[in-house]
Amino acid sequence: MLAIETEGLTRHFDGKPAVERLDLRVPEGAFYGFLGPNGAGKSTTMKMLTGLLAPTAGRARILGHDLAADPVAVKRLIGSVPDGLALFERLTGAEQLRIQGQLYGLDRATAARRAGELLERLDLASAAGDTVADYSHGMKKRLALGCALIHGPQLLFLDEPFEGIDALAVGGIRQLLQELVASRALTVFLTSHVLEVVERLVSHVGIIHRGRLVLDGTLAEVRASGSLEETFLRAVGEERAAPAALSWLPGRTA
Amino acid sequence: MSGGPGLRTLAELRVLLFWRRLRGRGRTAELVAMAALFLMAIPLGLLFAGFLGSASYRAVRAGAGLAVDLAAAALFFGVWQAWTAVGLALSEGDAFDLRRALAYPVPPGRMYLLGLLTGIAGDPFAAFWLLLLGGAFTGAAVGRFGPWLLPLLALFMAFAAATVTLVALGRELLARMARGRWFREAAVLAGVAGWGLLLWATRYPVRDWLPVARKVQWVLFPPALAAAAGRHLYGGRVLAALPYIAALLAAAVLCGWAAYRVALRTALSGGEEGRARAGAGGGWLARWLSARLGPLAEKELHYLARHPAIRVSALVVPAVAGLLAWKVLPQVPEEAGEVVRALPLFGVAAYVHLVLQVFWLNAFGWDGGGARALFLAPVAPGAVLAAKNGASMLAAALLFLLAGTVYVSAGVVPPAWALVAAAALHLGMAPWLHAAGNLISISNPRAAPFALQRNGSLPALSALAGMAITAGATGLFGVPVLAALHFESEWLLLGAWVALGAAGWLAWRWSLPRAGTLLQNRREALLAEVTGEVT
Repeated sequence: MLAIETEGLTRHFDGKPAVERLDLRVPEGAFYGFLGPNGAGKSTTMKMLTGLLAPTAGRARILGHDLAADPVAVKRLIGSVPDGLALFERLTGAEQLRIQGQLYGLDRATAARRAGELLERLDLASAAGDTVADYSHGMKKRLALGCALIHGPQLLFLDEPFEGIDALAVGGIRQLLQELVASRALTVFLTSHVLEVVERLVSHVGIIHRGRLVLDGTLAEVRASGSLEETFLRAVGEERAAPAALSWLPGRTA
Repeated sequence: MSGGPGLRTLAELRVLLFWRRLRGRGRTAELVAMAALFLMAIPLGLLFAGFLGSASYRAVRAGAGLAVDLAAAALFFGVWQAWTAVGLALSEGDAFDLRRALAYPVPPGRMYLLGLLTGIAGDPFAAFWLLLLGGAFTGAAVGRFGPWLLPLLALFMAFAAATVTLVALGRELLARMARGRWFREAAVLAGVAGWGLLLWATRYPVRDWLPVARKVQWVLFPPALAAAAGRHLYGGRVLAALPYIAALLAAAVLCGWAAYRVALRTALSGGEEGRARAGAGGGWLARWLSARLGPLAEKELHYLARHPAIRVSALVVPAVAGLLAWKVLPQVPEEAGEVVRALPLFGVAAYVHLVLQVFWLNAFGWDGGGARALFLAPVAPGAVLAAKNGASMLAAALLFLLAGTVYVSAGVVPPAWALVAAAALHLGMAPWLHAAGNLISISNPRAAPFALQRNGSLPALSALAGMAITAGATGLFGVPVLAALHFESEWLLLGAWVALGAAGWLAWRWSLPRAGTLLQNRREALLAEVTGEVT
C-alpha cells in the first residue's frame, strides 16, 4: 500500500503557483526525502498533506484515506513536525507531551507514561518541568519530535528537522529515526536542505523545483549517475552567469 | 560614522514599518477602526481638558489661597497618577527593544531617546494626557495672558518629561523584576493597599491628614515639584517657581538616564532578564480542574492561570468591587429600592467580562506556533472553541466569585435574590459574549505578547467590535432592569435574566459547530497571523 499518494496536487497563492500538479507516490515503510531549493514548494506540500493548507486543486490519499473527505481519520494516523514547530510555549515539556498524546486519543495515564519515556529518550528529562519558552531551539525540535511520536503514528512528516540544531542533536534524532524505520514501525516523509544527512538516512528521494516534481525514485536509482548532491544540482540547477564583483569591496593583495 | 545620519535612517525605518503595518493587506478596516477609536477618545479628552482648563482658570483668577493649592495639586497629582498607572499597566505605545539597536553604529543612548519619543507619539493614551495638560494651559492663558505663560509651558513640558521618564524607569525595573515569580502581583497588591490607605484617610477631617500628606508628597516628586511650581506661577511668583521647574527637569534627565542604563544592562545581558517568566505551576485549582476537563481545556486553563493579566485582575477587580460596596453603595438611599441598590453588584458581574475581553475577542492570540497543533490533531474545530470558551468562562466566573465575596464582605450583604440575579447576569452574559467573540477571534486574530500590557493583544478593529458586542449584551440584559424598576418587581428581573441566559447557552451551543467550520475554513489566515508565518 502507498503511504502517500497525490494526484495533480496544486496550490496557488494569490494566483501564483507554489505547487503545481504534484503526483507523488510514497510506499509504506519508506524513508522518503523530499528535497528542493528554497521556495520550491516543499513546506507547502507538507502543509497540504497534513491538513494545514487546503489544495487549490488535486487530491491526496494518506494511508488509504482521502484527506479531503476524512481529515480526522488521517490526522489520527500521522505525526507531524511542521516548519516553525507546533508547540505551546507556556506549557512545560512534560505537559506539552502528555496533552499532545491526549489530543490524539490516549488516556491521561498512558500519555503521561509515554511522555516520561520520550523525555528520557530525547534527553529532555532534566527540563521536563520547564516551560517550553525557556527551551533552546534544539530542545524545542526534540520536543516537537516527541509530540509527533507520542501517539504511535504510522506516518511521520518532518519539515526541516535538522535545521538550526547542533551536530550532537542531529545525531540523536537521526539514530532515533533510523531505528523507527528499520523496525518498520512507520513511514517517514522528510524535507531537508542538508543533503549529506538525507543521503545517509533515506530510502527514497523526490526532488521538487518551482512547484513541480522533477525527480523521484529510490536512493539507488537517483544516485545511479552520481552523488545525491550532484543529482540534486543537475535536477534544479540552472545556468547562471558568474556574479559581478562588488565595486566597494575590492580584492586585497597580500 | 556620526550618530546623526544613522539615527535619522532608523527613525525613517520605524516610521516606514509603522506605515506598512497600517497599510498591509487587510489593514484598511483596522486603520478605519483605529481612527474611530481616536475619534471616540477625543470628545472624552476634550471634556476632561475642559474641566482642567476651568480649574486652572479659576486658580489663576484667585491668585492665592486654598483654591490655588487644591487646583495645582489636583491637576498634577491627578494627571500623574493616571498617566503612571496606565503607562505601567495598559500602555498602547510601541515597545522599544534596545537589543535591536546594539547592532547599529549609533549611540544606544540616542536610540533609547528616539524609542521613548516615538513611543509617546504612537500611544493614544499619551496623547490623551497631553490633551489634558493643553486644556489646563489654555485655561491659565485665558485667565491671565502674559509672559508668565512661557515658564508655565516649560513647567508642563518638564512635568510631562519627568512622568514619561519615570514611567520608562518603572517599566524597565518591572521588566527585570518580573522574572521573579509574584513580584508583579506583589507590586499591584501594594498599589491596591496604597489606594485603600488613601481612602481610609478620607474618613478623617482634611486638617488631620493634610500636614502628613504634605510631608510625604515629595516621594512622588514629579507631581509634587510641579504642583509647587504651579502654585507659585498661578500666584504670579515666577522667580520662586523656577527652582522647582529646574529640579523637575533635572529629575527627568536623571530618571531618563537611569531608565536607559537599566535598559542597556538588560540588553547587554541578552534581554533574558526582561522576559516575563511563566510559572511552571498553574495552581492547584487549575491542575485539579484540568485533570477532569480534557486536554484542550487543560491547555487553556494552564495558559489562563499563567497569564499575568488574569493574576493582576484577580487583585484589581475584587479591590474595585470592595470599593464599590464600601464607598458607593452607602450613597444609594434605601428608598431607591432593592433593584437600584443592587446595581453596583450587577455592574461588577458585567465588568468582569469586560476585564477579560482580550481572552474572548482574541482567543488564539497567545497560542503562537502551538496553534498549528490545534489543526494537526484529530479534534473538531468546534471542540477547540468550546475548550477556549469554557476555560475563559470559568476564569471569569471564578474572578466574579472572588470579587462578589469581597463586595459582600466590604458592604451591606445584598438580599438573596440580588446575589442569585448577579450570578444569573454574569453566567447569562458569558455565552452571548463568547459566541460573538468567537467570530472576532477567528476573523481578526493577532499574535499577542504574553504580558500584562494590552498593546498588541487586541487589534483596533476587534476592540471596536468588542465595544459593540458588550454594548449589545449590556443593552439586552439592561431591558429587564428597566422593566423591573417600572413594575417594581425584582423577581421579574431574575426570571428575565435566567431566560436570557438559557437562550444564550442555546445560541452558543448552536453557534459552536458553525464557528468551527469558519475556523477550519480560515485556518490559513489565522495561522499566518498567530504564528507570524507568511504562507
